[in-house]
Amino acid sequence: MSTAESLPALRRLPALGAPFAAGLVLILLWEGLARLPGAEVLLAGPWDVALWLRENAGLMGRALAVTGAEAAAGFVLGNLAAVALALLAFALPRAERLIAALALLVFCLPLVATGPILRVLYGPGPGPQITLAALAVYYTTFVPLLVGLRAAPATWFDMVASYGRGHVAALIHVRLFAALPYLVAGLQIAAPAAFLGAMVGEFTGAERGMGVLTIRALRALDVEATWALATVAALVSIAVYAAIGRAGRRLLNAPPPVLLAPPSAARGPSPGRLLLRAGLAGAVALALWWGAMEAFDLNRFFAKRPGDVWAFLVTRPEAGAHRAELFGALGETLALAVPGYLAGLALGAALAVGLTLAPRAASLAMPVAVTLRAVPIVTTAPLIVLLMGRGPAGTIALVAVMIFFPVFVACLHGLARAPGQVLDVFDSYAAGPVQRLLHAQLPAMLPAFFASARMSLPAAMLAVTVVEWLATGRGVGALMALSASLSDYAMLWSAVVVVALATVAGHALLGAAEGRVLARYAGEQLR
Amino acid sequence: MPAEPGPPGIRCEGIAKRFEGPAGTLEAVAPLDLDFAGGRTTALVGPSGCGKSTLLRMIAGLEAPSAGTVRIGGETPAEVRTRAGLAVGFQDPSLLPWRTVQGNVALALKLARRRADPKAIERLLTLVGLEGFGTTRPGALSGGMRQRAAIARCLVTEPELLLLDEPFGAVDELTRRQLAHDLPRLWEARGTTTLFVTHSVTEAVLISDRVLVLSPRPARVVADIPVTLERPRAEGVELTPAFAELAEAVSAALARGAAEAGPKGLAAQ
Repeated sequence: MSTAESLPALRRLPALGAPFAAGLVLILLWEGLARLPGAEVLLAGPWDVALWLRENAGLMGRALAVTGAEAAAGFVLGNLAAVALALLAFALPRAERLIAALALLVFCLPLVATGPILRVLYGPGPGPQITLAALAVYYTTFVPLLVGLRAAPATWFDMVASYGRGHVAALIHVRLFAALPYLVAGLQIAAPAAFLGAMVGEFTGAERGMGVLTIRALRALDVEATWALATVAALVSIAVYAAIGRAGRRLLNAPPPVLLAPPSAARGPSPGRLLLRAGLAGAVALALWWGAMEAFDLNRFFAKRPGDVWAFLVTRPEAGAHRAELFGALGETLALAVPGYLAGLALGAALAVGLTLAPRAASLAMPVAVTLRAVPIVTTAPLIVLLMGRGPAGTIALVAVMIFFPVFVACLHGLARAPGQVLDVFDSYAAGPVQRLLHAQLPAMLPAFFASARMSLPAAMLAVTVVEWLATGRGVGALMALSASLSDYAMLWSAVVVVALATVAGHALLGAAEGRVLARYAGEQLR
Repeated sequence: MPAEPGPPGIRCEGIAKRFEGPAGTLEAVAPLDLDFAGGRTTALVGPSGCGKSTLLRMIAGLEAPSAGTVRIGGETPAEVRTRAGLAVGFQDPSLLPWRTVQGNVALALKLARRRADPKAIERLLTLVGLEGFGTTRPGALSGGMRQRAAIARCLVTEPELLLLDEPFGAVDELTRRQLAHDLPRLWEARGTTTLFVTHSVTEAVLISDRVLVLSPRPARVVADIPVTLERPRAEGVELTPAFAELAEAVSAALARGAAEAGPKGLAAQ
């Protein structure tokens, strides 16, 4: 007793108790499963993983250093790009929609196909991995930061104006500081995403790093190595995620509740206007693409221009066959991605709602979910392939797991946003928990649910294409892998374009549904 | 036009404000001619939503009038603001949560492009009763303390014109009375021209040299009541017959304004 009182670290133990206990239970469960008869061909327990890591400490250390350095470089570059883009969009309000649309389009590029293209564009070296890591992080920082730059109350700007100072002073003294919590929230999510991007870059043909080791282990059916690599990737991501969160809490004394991707305007523009905007964004994207290829005078064999993709898919005599192959593969992919995505959404929202009815369980589940959200799920793709086989079940499960955690965490945060006074009104009529849930908590959850659903759409596409690339040999991911190994760059570029457009279309569809639902149930969320 | 010596007076000519909204035009302030003498404290009293805050914001130049002009000692509000000649105390204390109390007060000097003197800031904080709270962040302060910190921020630039929009709005009754007694001494000593928006009749009489009673929207002047009580106001002045008489007069003018506006005035609320 006297020790516990004299050591502040021990006194804080109760706060750490829940996640610690949950972690211990997970580890024991994992070890127990691994010791089941017949499990050794699929599952390596924590003990085996630890042994493997001790034996291969040098190899693992070198690989981790390589991947970590790439992830760190991508993290810095991607977030710098996000800050620059957000400031640009803020400074040019007329161009904001265009910048946001282009940023989304680039975010929707399928990383597994972008990797090999970047590899031929850059030549050997860590360039593609770093770029992929940057691509994986910039959007989730850009969106909240842009929100954060506008998040300050109007009187703060009046205060600045009352001393005769203008927009620049308001930006320096108010907006940048007010945006910091949003930046921290973005950076926190970015840490695991950067690691994921670097590993996906290594999957697609690097020389060194954890991604390369993962591919090797998977091909050799080396169960211990596969589990050890996934464990290290997960632990590193969790550690960085926690460290940034901790630094953020130290830096910000009272962080406000941050909604990462608030909904767009209530009354959307007319369909004609929308088409016009989409057309403009598309035209600018094509011009940028063409301009970049021409500016660096890149070889037409692997650096395809918009015209080449158009010819490949539309005007060439074999275009019909190309289209059939590409869209057939895309159909196969969507047949797995859509159920997995919907299952992840439904499970995440349902579990969050269920836990609200059992608040004690929620306080235990929250830290575990927040921790597991930091795991770059795609890096565990090999495990899921090991566990569930190369059939559709494994792919659907991976996509669902990938979507589950961000949606679950967002929904728990959303449910907690139901205003206390409104809940008190329900209590004053002795309304039951179901009534409270239906009329107060669910409406408060909806914006967070939709925001996470939109943001995780590209993640779902990434998950499905990675599994197809690595393991199942079906769908558009496998088509990309095949095209990359055959140097069929026209098909690879076409696949990138088509997958990105499909993802953007899904995003737009969700946005429309979101507008309708929120207008009905959570009108105050729309500006 | 160069500024005249001494605390500046304010001259509003035909000043009006209309807001164009989806539901049509909203007339917040009807065309008004107003004069405020330099170095005096004037209270603007009126029912909620009558446009008194809008009037104050137009004088500060934070809101452009739809018609008319504002001159502060011959200058436009923008000119006065540019040399940090005025300070606004907002209904919400509007302290930046990431800055300490001291940092928030120093920010005003920084925005005014002046050097911050930590000792002077500390003295000012002592004056508003925040001694020892310089390194505290606003989140850890009570509502009344935040208001006092905001007032310290207003005073630190030694403005010629102080515009206060219900600065004690978010404060409990007891603190409110204390502030109403203590704070005017700070600006009276400097001869600052002060405009003070409130809907508390007692506060208006207690603080000001003159009370302007405004009608329900669109704001017109219902009564212009000089307050002849001795300055600085003595402890317990609220209990004197002279004070009660003035408070009566202000209340009666408020009621008259509401009655004249009639059901139309109520409908406009």
